Amino acid sequence: MTSMTVEAVRLTKRYGGRSAVEDVSFTASQGEIVGLLGPNGAGKTTTIRLLTTVLSPSSGEFSIAGHPSTAGTEIRRCVGVLPESGGYPAHQTGGEYLRFFGRLHGLGRSAANTKAAELLATVSLEHRAESPISSYSRGMRQRLGIARTLVNDPVVVFLDEPTLGLDPAGQAQVLEIIRGIAKGRDATVVLSTHLLPEVEEVCSKVVILNHGRVIVSGSVGEVISTAFIKQSAQLRVPLDLVEPARNVLAGFPDLTVDQLMEQPDVLTLAADRPGTATGAASSDMMNAALAAITAAGIPVLRFELEGARLSDAFLRMTSEAVA
Amino acid sequence: MTLQVAPPDVATPQDAQAAADSQSGWLVVAEQESRDLWTSGRGLILLFLFSVLLSGVTYLTSTNQALNFLEQRESVNLVLQLAVAVGVLVTLVVSADGISGERERGTLESLLVTPVSRRSIIAGKLVAALTMWFATFVITIPYVWVLARRVGILGQALTLGLLVGTLVALGLGSVGLLISGMCNTNKTSIAASIFLLLILFAPTQLPSGLPQGWFFDVLLRANPVASALAYISSMLVEGHGWTEDLSFLITPLLTAIIAGGALVLAGPRLVRLTPGVNAG
Repeated sequence: MTSMTVEAVRLTKRYGGRSAVEDVSFTASQGEIVGLLGPNGAGKTTTIRLLTTVLSPSSGEFSIAGHPSTAGTEIRRCVGVLPESGGYPAHQTGGEYLRFFGRLHGLGRSAANTKAAELLATVSLEHRAESPISSYSRGMRQRLGIARTLVNDPVVVFLDEPTLGLDPAGQAQVLEIIRGIAKGRDATVVLSTHLLPEVEEVCSKVVILNHGRVIVSGSVGEVISTAFIKQSAQLRVPLDLVEPARNVLAGFPDLTVDQLMEQPDVLTLAADRPGTATGAASSDMMNAALAAITAAGIPVLRFELEGARLSDAFLRMTSEAVA
Repeated sequence: MTLQVAPPDVATPQDAQAAADSQSGWLVVAEQESRDLWTSGRGLILLFLFSVLLSGVTYLTSTNQALNFLEQRESVNLVLQLAVAVGVLVTLVVSADGISGERERGTLESLLVTPVSRRSIIAGKLVAALTMWFATFVITIPYVWVLARRVGILGQALTLGLLVGTLVALGLGSVGLLISGMCNTNKTSIAASIFLLLILFAPTQLPSGLPQGWFFDVLLRANPVASALAYISSMLVEGHGWTEDLSFLITPLLTAIIAGGALVLAGPRLVRLTPGVNAG
């Protein structure tokens, strides 16, 4: 049975008359990866700083691993935090850096040594343990930072933009480590990022912030369905089979089929019957159309469902909030 | 449901055990900060420059008859005053980098999310900065030995230098950390600290022929650096006893107590991501 490890209730942080976050409430459970999303300035970093006791809330309360917000030291004892754009002491080695933080978390010299070696291996940096951090690439530094967040075997790990500035391979590596933290260590991960496809891939839950407020939270599927986006699809088939494909799709009266002028081998499909434009009914119709095309022996070169992705929901919701 | 959350470091029953556990946190910070200071080369370069300066001064005052215009006791006084002045300067500069430097390098937040209290972080940084003074003093010992052994004041000079220098370094190191906590950038913090030190050194550089009335005396005694140096002079040059001019040590002592007390009280509000005691 999983237990609740993060509980924020109406968390608010004001600077004078300006609210950085306002009435933010959400929960997260053990082993869950929660995506904290929002445009720049939405309040993601402030929320993380509040939950990790770096900042004090103006009002509201929270608990981390059962510790109330007033137990700052206890909370810091059971969380790991990778701050956004955090710096590293350039002249320290990776091993020295991890040993230092291990000791700050109460480990003895020997235990800190062992823990540092173990974590360097976890993030594939064991061969650079005694190299100065100044010689590390950006990806290596991020991995070292993630290793630091694990030095106290945390119950909750907060990662603020851990893939920022990394190449695709580096991003994939970091996401794999994040999955490992949730599965292997059964820790809760609160992940703040702009990489929505990755969130869709790894997060079991999403909290979208805008202007300091939570505009939606829930599973990825719930968030997408909440956005009520009209779904459409693009279907690419061999150019000489476009007409047979159109004939097959004519069997779906609720689908509007158009051909792109600039790409004549691409057909756009839109569900336009009232009540089917959004949600599962629309997806079912698209799937049925796709099945009919393949059953007719027409090779599908590309099929892309639009409006069903987290990025679509994110853009829709954040732009609505701006409007 | 709204609840005003206590700032970090406010003792609660839940925190009591944790605070007890992390009592050695300051030691870990001090150890790492000292290692960074000395292995990064900063400390060694400053000490090398100091030893070159000290070598020159000692050589001139002890060997060159044409340039040796000082009495032997005055030579010891000069070298000791130089050690205190430089030791305090480097301690102040290092402590002025303590908080603003971490902020600027983006390493402060990682420290703030450890269970070590913000007061322990400050204490560790102060101890590390004080190692600069102690290293300066250690380097001075052989020079003082060369000069003081001839006039039989070696023990007195070294004890005096260690006690008075430590007192002034402690006070100004605390002031440096206070400035560092309140400054927006590291450059501002270091510039403000050096400016402060120059003001404090100014009275010691006045020509001796100037009138020395009550105003000068107040100016001298109100200044922790000048009054500490005056105490050293009174003992080494004028041959006064330990307790004869103790009033010269009131300001250095008050500076250490007030600045240290301010660090203890305001520390948790100074060690934060944004400068000043009211931010964040």
